[in-house]
Amino acid sequence: MRILDLGSRTLRRRDILALIGGGAAAAAVGLPALAQEPKKGGVLKVAAPANPSSLDPATGGAGSDHSILWTIYDTLVEWDYDTLKPRPGMAKWSYPNPTTMVIDITPGIQFHDGTAMDAEAVKFNLDRNRSDQRSNIKSDLASIESIEVTSPLQVTLKLKSPDTSLPAILSDRAGMMVSPTNIKALGNETDRKPVGAGPWKFVRWNDNEIIVVARHENYWRKGRPYLDGIEFNIITENATALRSVVAGQNDMAFQLPARLKPVIERAKDLTMVSSPTLYCIQVYFNYARAPLDNLKVRQAINFAFDRDTFVKAALSGLGESARMTLPSSHWAFNKDVAGTYPHDPEKAKKLLAEAGYKDGLELTIGGYTDQDSVRRGEVIQDQLGKVGIRLKFTRGTIAEISAQFFAQEKKFDLLVSAWTGRPDPSMTYGLGFDKGAYYNAGRTADPELSKLILESRVSEDLAKRAEVFARIQRITVEQALSAPLAFQFELDALSSKVKGFKPNLLGKPKFEYISLA
Amino acid sequence: MLNAARLHIVGRRVLQAIPVVVLSTFIVFGLLKLVPGDVAVTLAGDNASDQRIAEIRELYGLNQPFLLQYGSWLAKAVQGDLSNSLVSNEAVLTSIQRCLPHTLLIVTLALLTALLIGVPLGIAAATKPGSWIDSVVMAIASLGVAVPNFWLGMLLVAFFSLQLNWLPATGAVAFTKDPWASLSHAILPAVALASGGIAEVARQLRSSLVEILSSQQVRTLHAKGLPPSSILWRHGLKNVSVNLLTVISLLANRMLAATVVVEAVFAIPGMGGLIVNAAMHRDFPVVQGVVFTMVLIVVSLNLLTDILYSVLDPRIAA
Repeated sequence: MRILDLGSRTLRRRDILALIGGGAAAAAVGLPALAQEPKKGGVLKVAAPANPSSLDPATGGAGSDHSILWTIYDTLVEWDYDTLKPRPGMAKWSYPNPTTMVIDITPGIQFHDGTAMDAEAVKFNLDRNRSDQRSNIKSDLASIESIEVTSPLQVTLKLKSPDTSLPAILSDRAGMMVSPTNIKALGNETDRKPVGAGPWKFVRWNDNEIIVVARHENYWRKGRPYLDGIEFNIITENATALRSVVAGQNDMAFQLPARLKPVIERAKDLTMVSSPTLYCIQVYFNYARAPLDNLKVRQAINFAFDRDTFVKAALSGLGESARMTLPSSHWAFNKDVAGTYPHDPEKAKKLLAEAGYKDGLELTIGGYTDQDSVRRGEVIQDQLGKVGIRLKFTRGTIAEISAQFFAQEKKFDLLVSAWTGRPDPSMTYGLGFDKGAYYNAGRTADPELSKLILESRVSEDLAKRAEVFARIQRITVEQALSAPLAFQFELDALSSKVKGFKPNLLGKPKFEYISLA
Repeated sequence: MLNAARLHIVGRRVLQAIPVVVLSTFIVFGLLKLVPGDVAVTLAGDNASDQRIAEIRELYGLNQPFLLQYGSWLAKAVQGDLSNSLVSNEAVLTSIQRCLPHTLLIVTLALLTALLIGVPLGIAAATKPGSWIDSVVMAIASLGVAVPNFWLGMLLVAFFSLQLNWLPATGAVAFTKDPWASLSHAILPAVALASGGIAEVARQLRSSLVEILSSQQVRTLHAKGLPPSSILWRHGLKNVSVNLLTVISLLANRMLAATVVVEAVFAIPGMGGLIVNAAMHRDFPVVQGVVFTMVLIVVSLNLLTDILYSVLDPRIAA
């Protein structure tokens, strides 16, 4: 596999860290060269933003579960923090031919209950993930035809079609291995009594209150983890979560909104970490019906947005203007289409006039009720208003509004929401733009786009895949299938005793390198 | 206190409570089904597809007729099984057993605070109507009603937790586990919750006391030479006790509802947070369980108030 040169991007990322968090943040994130041998022991107290949907990776559904799941479960494949490029985890992989994937498991790994993490266990997990009626990740593994145990530490996957997105998929829920013994003994109860092979084992979960994990003494990576345990105190109110860190009751709060940046800066003994993520704030279009079925209207909306101002006004500057659904630091970013929609209100008005809306038009839009969403909505309303697009907002909870936009009702023309990102870009385009995809409200797609999404999974060579993604991005951008606005930066507050925390591009913290001073 | 006649009344009121509980859970269930959004979308998660959402509806019986879904919930509930959360699979009864004590502790402390501060203020204002004390008390009372409790909560945290480091800013500890830690966590939220209550108690007590103290009957007592303190305690306060009881009962009900906001500000894992989170995800077994419990508490509180009425003033039949 060819490794892309990411030097310049990595440097840029460090620059951003240094710029925003000051020298302290750059040191706190523990750049390898500066790393000392971390101290072992101690319990990290974390303010977690949401109660998990489940502690069984197959049956859960919320993106916020991952940070907790990764403490209990190791994945077959992992990723590079800065680029999300897949790298070996509990296993290595290879493709002897395009429709065969071989997974070789590291010897000597045990689940928390002593069960061996071997080929049988991997087959059991993958079969369960792709066929159990409670599994939410069946579609992730749809390209697998059959799974065979080819040696005690090797499984071979026969694929229906070439699928090189599988390594990244196996770095997500589908690759989190649960103990087969536990599943066989407890069935559906395993989501509250999980047993994995991760660095910490499960101790306790009280809904909406706390999750406790403690060190797995037989962890396969010798010398790790550094922490004896982690307490996740669930605090859904962001400002309250931050107060708990300022008051010293928690050591860390993550995924904080940009508006809390001044509070972190003012607090004593806190380290602020801010770092790019894949979290893309965007306006979704229902382009299956008028007036959004008109390309000129969609393009006009894209020209009307002043994305740099959006980042300043709605994200307190903590973000990157979005030109497509992937940020500029991503390996599959296509810089050739990045300049397609500069801020040009005159062009927007001209396109609207050509589309037959000389006097402007009124569109319905859905949004959420929280403070940050309302602020975003106001900026959007103002910017589109300047070219004659009047927005009629309906606000509600995420469950309410997203169901009304994406499910059968099809209630609004637009939705202001976000795409939280996926380890592999083919997941992003497949779930968001393909024909029939849930997050594509109109369910229609250019056949060429569907073809390219399949093609993006054929080659193992990242450079070749990037070429296919460049073509995919050209279609989504030129056809203006959405209006990406900004990539939100992750914002975390850490007590000064927390060492070794490294943010990642997914924006969901991992605790594997953290130690307490 | 509970003679045969009162026991009979209690029995009758308990029977009357049954339709109240059933009706309220039915209405809430109906509302949850009427508003857009459904739990199947939440359960399908990040990789949702139309097919998966349909599968989940089938799997969890969410596509069954409305009455059948409600009926099966109710049938289990009367047997003491409040089902499990659809989202996290925790038994609803377990969640409630854990969350309710946190909420009850805050509400009880808040009520006590409201009485301990509100009653002396009310008396002070009523005994010298029109004086500067009266004006100050009424000003405090207006402020107490006007200040939102979440805002006061944040000010209290800023000062007592972040500045002075005296009390914890967030969280809760079970009373049975560590009573002292439990109280220290509950003090700030209780005070924040009590602010409106103090004002209410002071104002209500003042107005009813002033009315009684200026009545013909009291004037006669003065004329007969009874000492003012005796008039205040034996005739004044005894007469307003029924009014005060009404205020306390209304306050208790209102504070139970107001905990939703205060619990969010202080990150207390109580009933408020439980129902808000569940309602957001349309997790109806949890919502139903909380409503069921809250209705039971409110009905019991009202029943207790009625019994106390008849004790304080035998002319009032419960």
